[in-house]
Amino acid sequence: MDWALIQGIGRFVLATTLLLLLTIPTAFIVIQIELKVIAGMQLRYGPNRVGPWGLFQSTIHGFKVLAKEDTIPDQADRVSFTIAPWMVFMAAAMSLLVVPFAPGAIAADFSIGVVYFFAVLGLSVVGLLVAGWASYNKYSLLGGLRSAAQMVSYEIPLTLSVVGVVILTGSLSFSAIIAHQLAHGWNLFWQLPLGFPIFYIASLAEINRTPFDMIEADSELVAGPFTEYSGMRFGFFFFAEYVALFIMSSIMVALFFGGWLAPWPFPGQLSGFAGTLYGIFWFFLKTYLFVFIAVWLRTTLPRVRVDQLMGTAWKVLLPLSLINLFLTAIAVVVFNL
Amino acid sequence: MTRTAEPDPRIRDPIDLERVEEDRLRAVAGLAPAPRTGTEYAGFDLVGIPDRPPETEREREMFTLEEGEMLVNMGPQHPSTHGVMRLVAKVRGEVIVDIDPVLGYLHRGIEKLCENATYTTVLTYVDPMDYLSTMHNEHAPAIAFEKLFGVKAPRRAEYIRALVVELNRVFSHGLMIGFLALDMGGITPILYSFINRDEIVDLLSAISGQRMLFNFFRVGGVNWDVNDEFLSRLGTWHSRALKTVTDNERLITENEIFKARTKGMGALSGQQAIDHGVTGPNLRASGVPFDVRKAHPYSIYPELEFEVITQQSGDVYARYLQRIAEIKQSMHLIDQIMDRMPHGAVQTQVPGIIRPKPGRAYAAIESPRGLYSVYAISDGGPNPYRFRMRDPSFISLQVMPLLMPGHLLADTMAVMASIDPVMGGVDK
Repeated sequence: MDWALIQGIGRFVLATTLLLLLTIPTAFIVIQIELKVIAGMQLRYGPNRVGPWGLFQSTIHGFKVLAKEDTIPDQADRVSFTIAPWMVFMAAAMSLLVVPFAPGAIAADFSIGVVYFFAVLGLSVVGLLVAGWASYNKYSLLGGLRSAAQMVSYEIPLTLSVVGVVILTGSLSFSAIIAHQLAHGWNLFWQLPLGFPIFYIASLAEINRTPFDMIEADSELVAGPFTEYSGMRFGFFFFAEYVALFIMSSIMVALFFGGWLAPWPFPGQLSGFAGTLYGIFWFFLKTYLFVFIAVWLRTTLPRVRVDQLMGTAWKVLLPLSLINLFLTAIAVVVFNL
Repeated sequence: MTRTAEPDPRIRDPIDLERVEEDRLRAVAGLAPAPRTGTEYAGFDLVGIPDRPPETEREREMFTLEEGEMLVNMGPQHPSTHGVMRLVAKVRGEVIVDIDPVLGYLHRGIEKLCENATYTTVLTYVDPMDYLSTMHNEHAPAIAFEKLFGVKAPRRAEYIRALVVELNRVFSHGLMIGFLALDMGGITPILYSFINRDEIVDLLSAISGQRMLFNFFRVGGVNWDVNDEFLSRLGTWHSRALKTVTDNERLITENEIFKARTKGMGALSGQQAIDHGVTGPNLRASGVPFDVRKAHPYSIYPELEFEVITQQSGDVYARYLQRIAEIKQSMHLIDQIMDRMPHGAVQTQVPGIIRPKPGRAYAAIESPRGLYSVYAISDGGPNPYRFRMRDPSFISLQVMPLLMPGHLLADTMAVMASIDPVMGGVDK
């Protein structure tokens, strides 16, 4: 067999294994950040018993979920009830494949990475809908249908706002987009008035974060599609949600905030192994900054209502993202970017 | 386990126990497949609505489903219903067609308990009724029994009563604001409210010895006097208490999402509110200036300076603003009470077991949820012959079927939180 092919397969297997291993610790870290930050903002101590400063609280939560009884409701559709958590979790895990961590640290640097990312992340809505339908519970059903309506609607302004970036950089590959930002400065400056705000709002809706956490709105729908789930099946939904928050923040960083680039031009990027470490440092710093902001929003804002949510998507964000597309195209021609 | 006794025809038993048992035995013996669900036999559909002929016009209207409608059962084990309350909502998609509060999950027979207790111990039984306004619960029976027995509390006792009652009102309204935000997904205001509540409860426990069911009022006075240390702590609290309220206000009042969700939501007109007997902040938020403290003055309220606050629109936002305004008003009242607190005894002499002359007495007070009143009849014995309480949240809850149709399921909890029912008081 061709040596290069074997090498490629080996690299792919190694990368996917590493990414799968990365998901659960990432979820733990994001949950821990959420527990601690929310506690701080609400003038509470937060977790402080497990490990120093309660650092292992979310890990213990993870093991607790493993140890819990796994029940399936009597009248649930067993097959789809069982696979729904996997669909949601795998959608999040698979989209990690194109996340640009650092130069040389992208699992698969597709030339159509952006398209792949939004296609795969959008699959999670199928899992949520299946979970809601299979649970045989009215709250689950309402939650599942809400998730379908919400995520499908918000995918349109989300992707349209990314098209602005694609026009600006002329590429669908994440590494090329970041390379373009090294040369021309962060895309944020060109997308600040419209593109970035639209992307940010739509991304919060896409990953079901407050103020758009319609799907599991606990004061209305108990836990939405997750109502009937327990044990590790619930754990998969839970982890998927937090992994999705991390991934969406990282994609936001890659598209608008220069990805692994340092915030100043010299040295924006180092070469070799040092460059990888340097890139990973800046990447994680920026990504967790956005995770922090998402948590901040959660403590501050109430939830919008489901009809206001849909109205915002179709009446405000969609026209604005089209305008953004138009203005970006004009800017590219006028300023010869 | 077959039933041998003749079933009481008055009690409707939806479960055919013999058939259930027979099928179970057959399934155990392997003669029949195991029954798939318990609901098949139980005579209930899946939301627990009795599968029986409707008895009243209202039941027929509520439980008759048209094409595309379904019943959603919220509670009594729903994460956000206030206490153990159940709302049966008839929905078309997510739009509510009709809604029916189902009460009685917390019924403890407090009125009957009180009728079997002596007049002094009644004041301990009424505590857990409306568990967020315990001081108010004790205030009305104390006034009623004083009228029955013909004693008057000393002036210092009256001032202390007004003081603790207003303190109670501050944290009760504060919690309503927090729960309202919580039911809309804002998770922070409730914690600020509880910080505020904790400080007040610390103060109240310093004079009453308890943190929740204070048991502070006595017939003819109050249990303990306040000392200078308490008053200085109260002054310290007063100087910074408005800060937590202001913090919450900055989180909520001008929040665009909050305003978009609450303005025009669940609007109750003044006439509707009067028709349904709604009182308290909910009534005043609809523009009707009725406050028991002004309309039927009791205790020392005629001596204090305050105005009846009203809002105009009667929607959820107005009810929220009304609570904020009343918190500030109560703080102002506490200021006046602290200034004018007289010296003297806090308890008149009453015998250990009070035996009032036969007669009847009525006392109404303004609780944080509205007009809370007590009607007591004495037959000359050591305990009340009849003891009746009008709980305001029971009555304000009845406007839910009026407010909700046409709104979304998502707004149910917001509207309910704005009405601010406490199930302990509703079910008594």
